[in-house]
Amino acid sequence: MEEAKEGFEPKIIGFTCNWCTYAGADLAGTSRKKYPPNVRIIRLMCSGRLDPMFVLKVLLNGADGVFIGGCHPGECHYIKGNFYARRRIAALRTILKQFGLDNRVRSEWISASEGDKFARVMKEMAEDIKKLGPNPMRDKIL
Amino acid sequence: MKGTELKQEDLEGLFKRLLEKKAVDCLVLPHKVGNNVAYMLVKDGDKIESPAASAIFAPSFGVNAANIVKGWTIPERVGIVAKPCEIRAAIELMKLKQMDKDSVLLISADCSGAFTNQDYADHAGEIGDWVDSGKINELKDKGIAIREACAICENRLADVGDIIIERVDGGKVLVAGITDMGVEALSSTELSLEDKDVERQAEKEKIAADAKKEKEELPKLSSVEELEEFLRDCIGCKNCRDMCPVCYCKECFFEQPLGKPVGGDLLNLAELRSAIGVPTNQLLYHLTRIYHVCTTCVGCGACEDACPKNIPLTRLYPMIAEKVQEIFEYEPGKDVEEPLPFITYEEEELEEHLR
Repeated sequence: MEEAKEGFEPKIIGFTCNWCTYAGADLAGTSRKKYPPNVRIIRLMCSGRLDPMFVLKVLLNGADGVFIGGCHPGECHYIKGNFYARRRIAALRTILKQFGLDNRVRSEWISASEGDKFARVMKEMAEDIKKLGPNPMRDKIL
Repeated sequence: MKGTELKQEDLEGLFKRLLEKKAVDCLVLPHKVGNNVAYMLVKDGDKIESPAASAIFAPSFGVNAANIVKGWTIPERVGIVAKPCEIRAAIELMKLKQMDKDSVLLISADCSGAFTNQDYADHAGEIGDWVDSGKINELKDKGIAIREACAICENRLADVGDIIIERVDGGKVLVAGITDMGVEALSSTELSLEDKDVERQAEKEKIAADAKKEKEELPKLSSVEELEEFLRDCIGCKNCRDMCPVCYCKECFFEQPLGKPVGGDLLNLAELRSAIGVPTNQLLYHLTRIYHVCTTCVGCGACEDACPKNIPLTRLYPMIAEKVQEIFEYEPGKDVEEPLPFITYEEEELEEHLR
């Protein structure tokens, strides 16, 4: 098991909003910031588009981590989408916490100019999830 | 609040006059069916049986009455006489726009905790129509226990809705209107109302303290493995959803192709994961449902009663929902004017819950 952990490359699903975090990720790329290639980004138009069920579904389907990115509160392209998203994510994480799943889910506000922050968060997250090991759901018959 | 004290047997007359004076066009209230209690929708006051009080305080829980008036958006006014948890659920439904605020008159009656309607019917003789906490403990020693949802309920006293019916010593009841609509309805029945201010804080605190103690003793679910074991017997019948007063989608995700895959979709899923459990999405269904009701769950326990496999769902839905309600400082069903947590926000909040 320890061995498996060592060679383990986590699969992280990232939900990012089109206007800030996706552009932030883009900036990280164009400015050649290095970060681990573990995240698979799904672009949403707004973090408010994220149905918490998406997170539940990817976790149950075996994703090792879920990243949710949006504009900083108050800077949403649609004025208040991320305010609603914040409430939903807080509720969802409170539920996940009861079952010890919350440490696989992280959300950050990353603006289009914060390529550095995106790279840093991805690095931190990959490390954290490597420590946690693979999602046990991956091999379960669900 | 404005109200008056009545003898228990006068409640019957009150309900009849509410109908007669057109304060309501119809009335949902419990009545006796053999050994048991069930709801009926009354148009003609003559059908209200005597003594009405014996049915409205009978400690039996069948269906959550809010479910009966869910979708009541017509101008004709319906009154519902029910337990506080049912009235709370109705208030949540009003906020969810599943019921018209002005066409439903909510009348809550004191509750001391209820038995499942099976248990009530089996032991109706011993339980009787009117129980208090002493009687409940006495029955518990005999092996007849109230529902788990009732044992952990902190809000048994009638304090929500438009009209409240409180039990007072000496076989009397206090009927009072706590909203304009409630006072208006009571006034129309020609009761002489006076300002009433009943202090029940001490009683409330005692109920809450006892309930908290019971809650602490319940087994907790703390990992996915425990949740899987807990749901082992689930057959995916979704009765918990259908009987839940605050689950209201016209078409549930889990009735649609993605939520309930069949044929080729099912085969593709199996190919993707080598093997899948069927019926599918058992864990996803319950986790999603927890999220969907996490702010509105009133803890009535209808889900548990509805489960054909006797899964003690009170240990899942209300217990987890409570944690979410805590972070929003939200108490479901308390105030119809208070916005639902998911449709409002503060500019600065909740950051500590995000990562």
